[in-house]
Amino acid sequence: MSDGWRQHLYHALLWLVALFFFSPVAWIILSSFKTADDILAVPPKLFFEPTLENYVALFERNAFLQQLTNSIVLSVCAVLIAVTVSFLAAFCFSRFKPRGTDFLMFLLLSIRMLPATAVILPVFLMYVAFGWKNEPIGIVLFYAMFSIPFSVWILKGFIDGVSPRFDETALVNGASYWHVIFRVILPQVRPGLIAAFIFNLIFVWNEAVFNFIIGGIDTHNIPVALWTGAYADGGVDWAFIATMTSVYLIPPVIFIYFFQKYLLVGMTFGTVRGEV
Amino acid sequence: MADTTVSKSSKYVLPDRRNALMAVLSDRRYLPAILLIPVLVFFLVWNTIPLLWLLGLSFHNYSLTSGQDPRFVGFQNFIRIFQDWQVWYDLSRTLLFVFVGVSLQTILGILLGLLFWGSAKLPGRRLALTLLFAPMILTPVATGNFFRLIYDPTFGVLNAMIRALGFDSIDFLGNASTAFWAVLAVDVWMWTPFLVLMTLAALGSVPKAELEAAEVDRLPWLQRLRLIVFYHGKFILMLGILLRTIDSFKTMDLVLQMTRGGPGSSTKLVAVTLYRQAFDSFNLGWSSALAVFLLLISIAFTATFIFVLNLRRQRGQS
Repeated sequence: MSDGWRQHLYHALLWLVALFFFSPVAWIILSSFKTADDILAVPPKLFFEPTLENYVALFERNAFLQQLTNSIVLSVCAVLIAVTVSFLAAFCFSRFKPRGTDFLMFLLLSIRMLPATAVILPVFLMYVAFGWKNEPIGIVLFYAMFSIPFSVWILKGFIDGVSPRFDETALVNGASYWHVIFRVILPQVRPGLIAAFIFNLIFVWNEAVFNFIIGGIDTHNIPVALWTGAYADGGVDWAFIATMTSVYLIPPVIFIYFFQKYLLVGMTFGTVRGEV
Repeated sequence: MADTTVSKSSKYVLPDRRNALMAVLSDRRYLPAILLIPVLVFFLVWNTIPLLWLLGLSFHNYSLTSGQDPRFVGFQNFIRIFQDWQVWYDLSRTLLFVFVGVSLQTILGILLGLLFWGSAKLPGRRLALTLLFAPMILTPVATGNFFRLIYDPTFGVLNAMIRALGFDSIDFLGNASTAFWAVLAVDVWMWTPFLVLMTLAALGSVPKAELEAAEVDRLPWLQRLRLIVFYHGKFILMLGILLRTIDSFKTMDLVLQMTRGGPGSSTKLVAVTLYRQAFDSFNLGWSSALAVFLLLISIAFTATFIFVLNLRRQRGQS
């Protein structure tokens, strides 16, 4: 009996920790249901009359749907390109081990580790010179480039885990290498593909600086909108920020909830595998 | 001679598909190159060329606001950066930010990770972990923006709590002595869950059999932690700390949202300096030189990361 009691206490403590970390996010979500006056009430109100008018106002904003579409299209396109390209390269690195594989893998990872401005500054100049600034395709390709290192690392790890005997069996039986790649390897590394897809998607989804610098009005996604459009009527439009954030938060949270077992491999750029 | 090549390729190519393109695509000799070309193209166009551009620009005096063409000045930009005490201040502020932030995250992460170790039977564990990990996946722009309201001296919920405890409200972000720590606290809040995750992974990599053996042998728990848990888990933990160090070194969007480096220069991390010089002042030659300098630091960090990763591989854990 007392053991069960301790167990309950322990579980309550764990939930408290989780809720503590979630509380600022919860505050944002709570604020999205407040009127503009309630958000700036002194002292802040924990209990209030919830209203949906912020959501109505948000969806009536001209640019909002455009920006939401941009967010979705940019992230899905960029990540699809990146994962496809990376899968082929990862197969090559894993199976053929061309000379310089280790060095290339190092270079790829180091791209991801660079300060954002150092990466974007020359790309900005290049895009201005070539006239690619404010072109959606330019941003998609840049995001794809930025998603490749991580995808290659994650997928190489997974392909390394598939025994080469599968390839050999297929090859001996007369299959082509393309058959091996897409019909033998691909089904076995599906978790890797999902992880690469989801975590790159979350990254591009949340990215603002690159889009702000090399994009334009036509390509701005929601984070950029949160950055540039937060002011209204001479002050910060907190209701707008809270509402937009709450809407925007839904997909990543759903991903994290349903694909929690890929969280580790996803957050470590594919260098550590395991479950939590 | 001709016979052997035919038989060699027919081993890989389905006979009915044997047209010229497929033959090339399926040729074992070209295949590695074909698989790599797309990535290499991306790498070349969006990385190598821009980086060379950056390197070239760092030797030029170039500002978008002056309207003049870039002028070659040799190492002058680098010399100016090395002699600029403000850059050194920013750099040391960044190191303080990285050191204190990552240390706090590591300590808290390990403690909470150990706390969550036995959470397998937690009701709603998945939801609890999702809530715990939510700070990392929230877009930093939103986090930074909204924490301005939370920290606000009049309307902020944090100051309301402080007032309820009977103290005066503090203008966290408007005060040069508190702004740095306020930003740091947000960073710690955001990224402690990451180290909880890494600690859980490290704990997960500990073989159960050894823990059971320790249980049977009644090893004191401190030794259990040191000899078994730390022995097996240290690499994953180290990788986590290194990733955080690299990431924390380039912290920018959070600061841009919360303080833009102010008040004064109390929260000006070196990545923020770079951003503002490049895209607020359009001082491109100078900021390219600084970018090159930061690139070298990041590459050194990455090399360390790979080194630890290889150490772990050699130990036969993966």
